Amino acid sequence: MKAARVLLAESDPVARRFVAGLLRQQGHEVDEAADGEAALRAARERRPHLIVLETVLPGRDGGEVLEALKADAATRRIPVLVLSVRSREEDVVRGLEIGAEDYVTKPFHTQELLLRVRKILARTT
Amino acid sequence: MTYSDREILVLTIAVTVGVLALITLAIVLNKAWREAREAFDRRRRAALEPEVFRYAGAAEARSIREYLPLPLTPRDRAIVEAILLDVAGLLKGASRERIATACEALGLAAEAIDGLGARRWWRRAEAAEKLGVMGSKQAVEPLVAALKDPSDEVRMRAARALGRIRGRTSIRPLVQALSDPSRWSAIRLAEILIGAGDDAVDELLQAFDGLPAHARVSALDVLGRIRTPRAADLLRRSIRDPDADVRARAAHAMGLLADPGFAGALMGALADEAWAVRAMAAKAIGRLGAQAAIPVLAERMSDREWWVRSNAGDALRALGPAGREALIRTLDAADTYARHQAVAQLEEGGIIDEYVADLASADAARRVAAIAFVEKVIALGRVDRLSHQAVEHTQEGVRRKLLEILKAVPEGAS
Repeated sequence: MKAARVLLAESDPVARRFVAGLLRQQGHEVDEAADGEAALRAARERRPHLIVLETVLPGRDGGEVLEALKADAATRRIPVLVLSVRSREEDVVRGLEIGAEDYVTKPFHTQELLLRVRKILARTT
Repeated sequence: MTYSDREILVLTIAVTVGVLALITLAIVLNKAWREAREAFDRRRRAALEPEVFRYAGAAEARSIREYLPLPLTPRDRAIVEAILLDVAGLLKGASRERIATACEALGLAAEAIDGLGARRWWRRAEAAEKLGVMGSKQAVEPLVAALKDPSDEVRMRAARALGRIRGRTSIRPLVQALSDPSRWSAIRLAEILIGAGDDAVDELLQAFDGLPAHARVSALDVLGRIRTPRAADLLRRSIRDPDADVRARAAHAMGLLADPGFAGALMGALADEAWAVRAMAAKAIGRLGAQAAIPVLAERMSDREWWVRSNAGDALRALGPAGREALIRTLDAADTYARHQAVAQLEEGGIIDEYVADLASADAARRVAAIAFVEKVIALGRVDRLSHQAVEHTQEGVRRKLLEILKAVPEGAS
């Protein structure tokens, strides 16, 4: 698998460091964002191959970030994997409806998350 | 030797200043010490965390001991424990089990188990909490013993820890605890069992018949909220239980499961002698969407208990156009309470507003139907919404017609 540039938008520092570490171990280059605005800015500037997005973010909520990403021609094609503490069926359906490529709920299996990342990158890069 | 007043004053001031200076120095030194320790902990965490994360994220069988610089100092042990507990909340399945294995391998689980025997209750509570997050199966037996702790807080945290660890040996004592309401909050226990999901279902189904009635009520509540189809047979049996609370809770759980196959049993329960069962059955039927129940629900609109009438009305409203027609027909019911409940439901469902809007319809038949409907509602004396619409409606024609009818029809005529 090719190494990819991944943007990780996650407000919880422990979760952010853990997931970033997992992705880096796979050889990916990881940019980190702690809030919605920073995530949008990084997505536009860095054009990552994949965005891993928590929907619970300070400032601009992850759902709004996802909508903004899909509304912007510059970021519309970047696949988004939602990794969220929001695990209700309606949250998952909404995330996928807005345009997320995949939706993983927390707590998660590390190997499952990595497999889903791999599959999205294989499809889109 | 005697001192003058002036000397005593100077001495007092000097001692006071000296004491204040010492206190200030102590505070400054303490703060500096704490900050230095925190900075040291941060540095140690920055060094240890990547290794613990690497272990937690790996799929291989290597022990945590191979990732860490051993032996760990007491400070590093505490930091590694904090990292493991932090990351445990993010993970499930095999990844989560690796955290439990690491806590066992480093002796952290054994230390926390020892903590369950501490003299201070808050230390025991903290130990129970940690063991739940660690998820170590080694802790099951000591935590079961902690369910008998004299402190409420320790018992509840031990229960929560068992719920987190899961597995039948953890869940069984929690199900048994449902039988002892004097020592447990049934609501908190139920939440723990709901969190345990399928593991709790097995144990609840197996233990159900041996539980006292109040525990069976809690068990049905948990099964309903887990929404497990495996409880369907038990619910069908429980809706005929001799205890009315059990029957009511079974009806409620049937609604949560929303299996159309429950419609017959719930329609039968609408005739139950206990009003709580009738009320719960009506509510459940609304959730099931059982159209066949519309005639019996319409009958329950005349029930002597308000809750039954209200839930029957809610259910009819939830049943779409046919339910709505039944509510409109209820405006002609012989029973005053049924008529009033029907108006309340039609108002809440926006149906009164729809008829009001038709007062200015271009379609003559709709206008006539709307006038007849509005007159009927006014005759029942329920004019709050209509009076509001007579002033606030966006269409002038509607407002004028509504005012005309309100003046012409005597309020509360029926």
